[in-house]
Amino acid sequence: MAGSPSPSSQPSAWTTHDDGASMREAQEALETYKKKDAVKVVVRFKAVGNAPIMKQNFYKITASNRFQAVIQFLRKELGWKAGDPLFTYINLAFSPAPDDTVSNLFKSFATDGHLIVNYSTTAAWG
Amino acid sequence: MSTPRHAPSAFSTPASTTLFRRLTWEGTVPLEVRVDSKELPANSDRGLECYYIQAPRVSYLPLLVPEIKRFLMDVVFDEAAARLIKEEDWWFESEEGHLLKWHWPIGLIYDNHTIMSSARLNSSATEPAPLRLILHLASPPTEKLLLSPSTEACKQAFMGQLKEADFLRWGNTKRMTGLRKAEQDGLWEGIKEHNFEEYWRVASKITPTTTPMRSHSPPPSSSASMHTRPPSADPGSNPGPDRDGAYNVRSVPVRIYLPDGPVLQDLVPTMLDDGVAHTLSIFLTTHLPLLFSSDREPLAYALVQGVMVPPEAEMAWLGACMAGADGWVNVCIGLIREENLRFR
Repeated sequence: MAGSPSPSSQPSAWTTHDDGASMREAQEALETYKKKDAVKVVVRFKAVGNAPIMKQNFYKITASNRFQAVIQFLRKELGWKAGDPLFTYINLAFSPAPDDTVSNLFKSFATDGHLIVNYSTTAAWG
Repeated sequence: MSTPRHAPSAFSTPASTTLFRRLTWEGTVPLEVRVDSKELPANSDRGLECYYIQAPRVSYLPLLVPEIKRFLMDVVFDEAAARLIKEEDWWFESEEGHLLKWHWPIGLIYDNHTIMSSARLNSSATEPAPLRLILHLASPPTEKLLLSPSTEACKQAFMGQLKEADFLRWGNTKRMTGLRKAEQDGLWEGIKEHNFEEYWRVASKITPTTTPMRSHSPPPSSSASMHTRPPSADPGSNPGPDRDGAYNVRSVPVRIYLPDGPVLQDLVPTMLDDGVAHTLSIFLTTHLPLLFSSDREPLAYALVQGVMVPPEAEMAWLGACMAGADGWVNVCIGLIREENLRFR
């Protein structure tokens, strides 16, 4: 990390003596990072095994949504009830934690501009 | 880091790597578990309903349940109440009423909570205080919990995180799926029994290694053998133990935890375009520029496994040596206060 510059070369707000201003700025930074922007990303649903293929497979989903919301959305589109078995995977490889966000999954695993979500009636990759 | 004098075998690990893995594994945090007084069965021995545990950072709340249950049955509940216990309905809240995510490693829950409380109270706790948990015995809020907090569900979630980490590192989960079922179960058993050897017997097959590159690279300099660039960035073209080298991963599994959220995840390459190793400092200035800027003092600090990691630590090394048992490097961000300055 950069060493402390001499006080005379710094605006007075940034010196360590003015802890209040630094704290306020840090708090504002946290607020900025907390903001859920409305950006949408493309999710592509792909059926696995006997799972029915939907008429529409590409959807724009708000990036700040949790993956749990995607699962519920998929259930609704398929017309399945809460108790019906539904297993979801990313890139045929793993099942994300339900509170992972679409944004994080997209940044880490998107291919060709979309996030592939596989769905199945049975546990395929356990 | 010392260079082994013999040719490194696929599973030989430098002593320093084993040291940090063991330190990570042995890390513990103090917990105070108290049954919600409204739920204490009649005839319970009140005044004793608090249970203190020094819990492993790499473990999970559902794995503590058997121990807590034994205590409550021995000391607090009478026979009638003990017969009615249904631990599958148990769930935990923080003192402030936050539902605890049981699929987070205990160390992460602790660090995140410590940062959040010091922010709220505008104080900096310099002594580790027990994390006070309220244990509820019934009516788990299944909607918010998303999954039942059973040990089996916890194990599945853990396996899922390992696979996600595996996929991030290599673009496939061959190392995980290549394990026999008994081996996969062995990872979880290692955590349940808190047995380092049992866990690492299997984990060493899927965790990136830190042995220096062989043959094609120049001999390691005295400063650090970790900085040699891998001969090829494509793991498939480089058979042998280097294939699993920490610097050959596509991305280190890392998540950033801001106080009170959000949780951030993105690709974390081990080397950057100009041939420079990706350090924690560069990682933080890239992803949190409002808090970490190279032209001024940082407004925040980063904890990994409860430790303030030096900014020059390399992401590849963190991924190989200080990840949690689920393969993830969890970076918890806290704000710096005047009193914290002496830690830098």
